[in-house]
Amino acid sequence: MALSGDALDPIGGSGAPDEAAVLSVPTTATDVDAPLLVANELWSPADPAAYRPGAQGINEGITHLRELEEAGIGRHDDARWAALEIVPAKADLILDLIRANSLWPLLSGLACCAIEMMSTATSRNDIDRWGMFPFRASPRQADVLIVAGTLTTKMAEPLVRLWEEMPEPKWCVAMGDCTCSGGRYKRSYSTIQGIDRVLPVDVYIPGCPPRPEGLIYGMMKLQKLVVDRRGKWAERRLGPTVPAGL
Amino acid sequence: MDRALRARLERRFGERLAGGVRQRHDETEIRVTAADVADTLRALHDEPELDFRMLADLAGVDTGTHMQVVYHLWSATTGDWLRVVADGLDREAPRAPSVTFLWKGAEWMEREAYDMFGIVFEGNRDLRRIYLPDEFRSFPLRKDFHLPDDASRSPGLGVRPMEETLSPRDATPATNLRRSAGS
Amino acid sequence: MTAHTPAGPHPSLDDPSVRIEDILREGIVEAVPVGRTERQAEFYTLRDGEMLLNMGPQHPSTHGVLRVVLKIDGERVVDIDPVLGYLHRGVEKLCENADYHQTICYMDPLEYISSLFCEWAPVMAFEKLLDVRVPRRAEYIRVIATELNRIASHVLTMGFFALDLGGLTPVLYGFIERDEIMEMLASLTGQKLLFNYMRIGGVNGDLNHDFMSRLGDWMSHAAKQVEANAGLLNENEILVRRARGLGVLDADTCLRMAVTGPNIRASGLPFDVRRSHPYSIFPELDFDIPTRNEGDCLARYLLRVDEVKQSLRIIDQCLHQMPDGPVMAKLPRLVRPRPGRAFAAVEGPRGMYAAYVISDGTDQPFRMRIHDPSFVHLQLVALLTPGNLVADTMAIMASLDPVMGGVDK
Repeated sequence: MALSGDALDPIGGSGAPDEAAVLSVPTTATDVDAPLLVANELWSPADPAAYRPGAQGINEGITHLRELEEAGIGRHDDARWAALEIVPAKADLILDLIRANSLWPLLSGLACCAIEMMSTATSRNDIDRWGMFPFRASPRQADVLIVAGTLTTKMAEPLVRLWEEMPEPKWCVAMGDCTCSGGRYKRSYSTIQGIDRVLPVDVYIPGCPPRPEGLIYGMMKLQKLVVDRRGKWAERRLGPTVPAGL
Repeated sequence: MDRALRARLERRFGERLAGGVRQRHDETEIRVTAADVADTLRALHDEPELDFRMLADLAGVDTGTHMQVVYHLWSATTGDWLRVVADGLDREAPRAPSVTFLWKGAEWMEREAYDMFGIVFEGNRDLRRIYLPDEFRSFPLRKDFHLPDDASRSPGLGVRPMEETLSPRDATPATNLRRSAGS
Repeated sequence: MTAHTPAGPHPSLDDPSVRIEDILREGIVEAVPVGRTERQAEFYTLRDGEMLLNMGPQHPSTHGVLRVVLKIDGERVVDIDPVLGYLHRGVEKLCENADYHQTICYMDPLEYISSLFCEWAPVMAFEKLLDVRVPRRAEYIRVIATELNRIASHVLTMGFFALDLGGLTPVLYGFIERDEIMEMLASLTGQKLLFNYMRIGGVNGDLNHDFMSRLGDWMSHAAKQVEANAGLLNENEILVRRARGLGVLDADTCLRMAVTGPNIRASGLPFDVRRSHPYSIFPELDFDIPTRNEGDCLARYLLRVDEVKQSLRIIDQCLHQMPDGPVMAKLPRLVRPRPGRAFAAVEGPRGMYAAYVISDGTDQPFRMRIHDPSFVHLQLVALLTPGNLVADTMAIMASLDPVMGGVDK
């Protein structure tokens, strides 16, 4: 099976090397210097004990939401505690306003609703007006998980892992009928009928798919939730070091 | 409905066709056994007067009594779609020859037929599940796999507890209050 | 998922006895050890210096939930193993338990970017089983709506191609065109994305004034607008130098991989179902089949620009030749086709979209098989990427234009 494409260097154009190019891509193994090898003595992925909770300082057993609750780590509002030193009275309100007006969604479009989500993010229905333009690819940088599209059992595990990797405060929005209740796939053998079976949802946006205006309405409701300190995240009590009365 | 195509097929494959060549609208159908289908497809692919070089579709079918693999082919020599049905696969242990030696693109289509029906394609280098997780034990498109909500044929038999109290017919003030207090 | 779910609050955070693993593994009784296939053994055996990189189901590319395991040697890709199924919704099984009319709405979310084509192929198969003749006005409306959908899909593909290569602006321009077309189709069908417009024997509703006025306004500047959008990218040095010569596909490989659509036309074979196996009113319409010979990513991209122009031509002709008459054939409410089999294929924006329907004489299809072109084209990624850099993986995938809804069904 001879393919004509695999020997061409795409960056160089149609095969002829370009002397003006700053980046020259090595085409044979001898062009690369011998890499520095640093032996990894800390742990090895082949070692089955490497991923055990508690090994090498990895967090003990935080693998489900239930255990996260019991561990109590998720209830500590670090930002609020730091801000209290500056503006003790209005810290809550200012923090919540800041959070509400810069909710960064995670790029988690699964199916058709993702197209409507992209349509909301582009020029005609610009969601950047509410600060939500950067759809972050990494869960570490995202605030809100907009689940747009049908969740299947195969995808549920990666999605819940994404949710767990998102740092607090975080909110979850169920966009579309498939995430609210299973939608038109209610009787299917391989979908999850409603993501609230696996994730704590704050806002449900029905529709198949919901119009961009519908998604914007849902996000504005979410902003209201954030400011009013309602929703599933805010139900957690604040950290034990916050004095009573504040 | 291409009569010339019918004549060519009968001349070339006459003895191995079960039931002759059937035609309707713009489709021509021939049925062969699973043992013959590899040779038949190779002949259809290679011979210049047949020239069925394009594979349009590869599907598995569970008729309830046995299984079939259905190939749809296209050729520039005729205006009909050709359907080749590899018939008579055993429902409990379906095996069929793989056509990846002719069309490498059939590899995933055969994987899908395996995933959905359990049909084992001999000669496919990569016969594993493609849609469902690897731990899934059933083959969903078989006729003995019932959707859980399929009221007429499932053990649940019409009981759909999630939707019971949401129908306006069943809603009373008591049920509505209970739903809003509980959820 | 099971028939035993009790009514009441959902068991997520509220019920401490329910664990997530139990919900996720509800259909699975016990783990069955899966043997390694030849290809798996070949792929997962690493030579010295090779590494497995998992581009997981969630990644910044816009094609949906596809997991790609890359075997890389430094920055060069040695091999690729795409893992599908993250959007498998069981559509074929659901259709076996639905009426013929209800199956049409299951077909929409398959290729959700171009859902009218997803409805058209099964509806044509049903019409063959029922021997229904579609009125000519309905055929013309179908062609106009689907060609508009083709344009919307192609401008999106062009935008995604640039987005996957790192250019954030062209997708905004693509969405301008797409949003206008979607508003047009919403005034015609009632829906922006999953139209549910085709019916057995015709379409759901006639053209209305809103649609015609929007269409007229848009057509008056559409050609120039598409030229301008394409001009943003066609001569962009970065795009051209990255895409030219990348992922070259020749005609023999296309036939062997069962490739159809713009991918095969960019490799020199002028196979278009509208000309090679005409359906609907396409024999009466005058349009060209753009073909290119290079077979690389740039050719596939430029071909889609050409196809948009041809679609505009088709819409223009349809508007001029539109006949009067009914828009739907008379059918009983409950359709019971004769027992038999029917196969129908249409030329979708990604390739040949086909439906194979087996009827057993009842009001529910016995077997509803959907052939999606993106499913077949994803195998090309494993064929074309080895030897290129990791960043070229996305370029090749974007040029092949898969839609995961159709791939996973």
